[in-house]
Amino acid sequence: MPRHPTSRARILIFLAALLLPLCGQAADDGPGCLDCHTPEPDSHVHDIFASVHGKLDGGGAAACTSCHGPSATHDRRGRRVPPDVSFGPRWPSDLETRNGACLACHNNGEQLMWAGSPHQQENMACTDCHTLHTGADPVLDKNQAVEMCGSCHTKVRAELQLPSHHPIAEGKTVCTDCHNPHGGAGDAALREVTVNDNCLDCHQEKRGPFLWEHEPVSEDCTLCHRPHGSVHDRLLVTQGPALCQQCHSAAFHPSLPYGGENLPGGSASRYVVGKNCLNCHSQVHGSNHPSGARLTR
Amino acid sequence: MKAKHRLLLPLAAAGVLAAPVWSADTAPASQDKDDATAEGEYTPLLPSRATADSRWNASSRGQVQLGAGYTSDDNFMFGQYNGLSSEGASLIGNLRWRDSNSGDSWWRARVDDLGLATREGQFTWGKAGKLRLELGFDSQSQVRNDSGLTPFRGGDTLRLPGDWVGGADTAGWPGLDTALHRFDRELDRDKLSASISAALNAQWRVKAGFSYETKQGTGDIGGAFYSDASQGDAALLPLDIDYRSSEANIGLSYSGTRLFLDGALEYSGFDNGNDALTWDNPYDITAGPGALAQAPDNEQYRGRLSGQWIMSPEARLQFDGSYALASQDQDYLDWSANPGVAIVQDLPRNNYDGEVAIGTFNGKLLLRPLPKFEVEAFYRARDRDYDTPRDAYPYPRGDSADQPGQALAVYNTAYDYHSHTGGAELAYRLPLRSRLSFEYAFEVVRRDNTAVRETKEDSYTLGYRIQPWHNFTARLEGSFRNRNASTYRWDQRYYALLDTELINATPDSQRYINHPDFSQYYMANREQWEGKLDLGWQPAEDWNLNLGLSWRDDDYDASELGLTGSQWGRLHLSASWTPSKDLSLSAYGGADRFESDQNGRAFRGGQEKNAFEIYPPLPQASDPGRNWSLDATDTSLTLGANLRWQFAADLALEADYNYVDTQGEQDLAAAGAADLDPQDYPSVDTRLHHFTAAATWQMNRRLSLRLDYQFYQYDSNDWALRGLAVDSAGQLLSFGAQNPDETIHYLGASAIYRWE
Repeated sequence: MPRHPTSRARILIFLAALLLPLCGQAADDGPGCLDCHTPEPDSHVHDIFASVHGKLDGGGAAACTSCHGPSATHDRRGRRVPPDVSFGPRWPSDLETRNGACLACHNNGEQLMWAGSPHQQENMACTDCHTLHTGADPVLDKNQAVEMCGSCHTKVRAELQLPSHHPIAEGKTVCTDCHNPHGGAGDAALREVTVNDNCLDCHQEKRGPFLWEHEPVSEDCTLCHRPHGSVHDRLLVTQGPALCQQCHSAAFHPSLPYGGENLPGGSASRYVVGKNCLNCHSQVHGSNHPSGARLTR
Repeated sequence: MKAKHRLLLPLAAAGVLAAPVWSADTAPASQDKDDATAEGEYTPLLPSRATADSRWNASSRGQVQLGAGYTSDDNFMFGQYNGLSSEGASLIGNLRWRDSNSGDSWWRARVDDLGLATREGQFTWGKAGKLRLELGFDSQSQVRNDSGLTPFRGGDTLRLPGDWVGGADTAGWPGLDTALHRFDRELDRDKLSASISAALNAQWRVKAGFSYETKQGTGDIGGAFYSDASQGDAALLPLDIDYRSSEANIGLSYSGTRLFLDGALEYSGFDNGNDALTWDNPYDITAGPGALAQAPDNEQYRGRLSGQWIMSPEARLQFDGSYALASQDQDYLDWSANPGVAIVQDLPRNNYDGEVAIGTFNGKLLLRPLPKFEVEAFYRARDRDYDTPRDAYPYPRGDSADQPGQALAVYNTAYDYHSHTGGAELAYRLPLRSRLSFEYAFEVVRRDNTAVRETKEDSYTLGYRIQPWHNFTARLEGSFRNRNASTYRWDQRYYALLDTELINATPDSQRYINHPDFSQYYMANREQWEGKLDLGWQPAEDWNLNLGLSWRDDDYDASELGLTGSQWGRLHLSASWTPSKDLSLSAYGGADRFESDQNGRAFRGGQEKNAFEIYPPLPQASDPGRNWSLDATDTSLTLGANLRWQFAADLALEADYNYVDTQGEQDLAAAGAADLDPQDYPSVDTRLHHFTAAATWQMNRRLSLRLDYQFYQYDSNDWALRGLAVDSAGQLLSFGAQNPDETIHYLGASAIYRWE
């Protein structure tokens, strides 16, 4: 005898049919990320809503999918399937996918030259430096950024401690003032097109042009200075007068050897003590005095 | 021949290492895919991130830190840049405040070092993806060695006491001791900035920025009086600094699907409040004053365009170019500030009216013709063209001698500079997550009015990176560069600077300034070898170890006099241990050694300027017996350690220690001339211990207490200052500054209040 649904069953089926469109409506409301990822004391997931990234696509779960992708399967099957884009640590997507999520928006300005940059060549992920699920990304705080760079670039971190240095270790100048960690078209991912342009951003008084130029100055500051730090005063590569005598050997005093006999206790010489050559030739970055041909005025 | 062999070496090495590339390339494609799947991709071994600054809780909406600190003594090395150079109490004031609950807009504010001369702050407001406004201020303070004394008083005009009596030599000046006073060598920068950027639509964005900065304080500079070099007297002078600079920019960026452009027009103006520094002559106050010109006002307009064109998934072009016009028309000072100097000829013009056009271009073409093969072709150019008048300047020497005749006039000279660099890097990914790369670059540099018209350099770089295991990486890089200079035109500078009358009056063989056998190293022939080795190892998940070795050798093989060679060696080790998110410990150590060798020849002018006459007795300029050499060696040892420890749920500890020990040596020798006997310099040693520690105790959800402590000990014995009193050198009135020898303690106590 065939079985027929009872009246009660018919009613249930009818009600279910009525609810189906409502379910569909619910599905159109968007992903249910926040149904499972609820605020928890030990989880930082919701901290992103205290940042600008939490407002993407109108905020809420839409902000999640703007970076993690629609993740429909993850939405349905939860812990068993990763979201479309996962930044780890459990299910990290491949590097290109992870970085692609960021580069989809950050494709100009600072990040314009990311492709081919030293950090990209090193297969670094954006999240190696940046923390998104936080109200304030620590690396965007200039005091913490130097520490972040120094954790990998320890050789430079050591140079910053040398007796003569820029105020980088002190946090007044930061690595990113000169370098763009996202890459540049020139050497060392410098922000400016040349080394000198970088230096002259802060030292405009040395820009000139001067009536009497000192040609290595306008060519390359690093011929005489080490920007990260030096054993010698004023970031110099070598202590004078030897430094000057690497390029100057004119008759009389520029050509003479100046040794320890020129120190106090011997016959303290104006060519050696104090500022050595710069005791007289003080305008080494250029002079605008009509009588300054020898860079003394 | 030797050079050719050296050229062949890297090429041969490239060939050997390229063999696996070829074999890998010819392997079946399916095998490549399997390899890639099985091995995964190269992943850098980064140290685990240390806990962020424990003062700031990223989940709090606002936090303010207020307290007081105490510095144990006046100093100029510890407080060189951090605003803590004075003994006594200082205010601790820091703020982090943000809000993002107002629709799609947000803002954040930051203030640091409120109670110090290094205070800075920033306020940023934005509407997500649409608008961003930023306002900021930044103060910096730099103090330098302030242990010196000077008898001068005043700002841009330095005066000596009315009863001043000098003399030919600094020894025994009767009024010197009573006139000496201390002065602070300190510079303060204060900068205000504002910027705005707005999205016009999905592709276009406009941005603009403005900043105004002042730099004021007292520096130092040397001032000289002389009629010729043998009659030179000098004095170190306090330099009054009053700089102002303004910068403005406006830009437009475009983000298409394949084309991205970022263009900007920029202005930068520099205004110096002081045109000159004038000072009394301490050697003979009745002889009249001297003056030097301070940096001239100048301005620069620049256009810059950078961009990227993604031609296909495997090809993209990147470029960054700029064109700038820098100019200055600061009015000239008089020939001399000294009314006693006889002037017979007017200035050739009232101001320099100089302009220089600076063009730059960096371009890269990135290609990936095969999945594992990458090519980067690059081209860089830099052009510096002067558009300046050229005049004769018969200038009086050192505010002491009368104006000379036209024959001794010197001409200002333009140093146009043009460089072009082109090359390519080829990189291939091999098994074991390895990458082999080879780069060739060719650079040509042309300079006007210098001893070398043109230099050409070939550069070869071979790099190999491998990650045979997921916890180990090795990177090896070797480079060879060979720079060839065109004919060394030792007389060029003579012709460029001097007057025809003088040139004609000088025998051909004496028309030089630098010795004809002398080469300026940065445009001399050079062979440069460089090697680097970096190893990274993560023996366990919470450990990260690194070793770096680098070495460079510069051989100026065609230079007889001047810099002839230098070597740079460096060893570096670092380790970090992060067993949990609550504890991280890192340490590093590095040793550097830099050596350079330079030669010179001591010679006088007059009849003996002829460097080519070989007859007894030899003129000094052509006598190799008058050669001398200088070997300089700089070494540094740096050690450091850092601890971040969340000791308990409510107690965070931080400690950081750095030790730096440096040594600079210069040893001299002479070839044998009886009047040349240079002595070695005593070594210059510096030693630094810097320890910082902090403890943050979270009393409750809103309030924390923090203690900061710093110990700083630094001393040096630079011979330029060692035992140098104001009047130690007869022809130099120095500051008599002492080498730093500081032991400083700093203690700070503060409260941090948070709100949600």
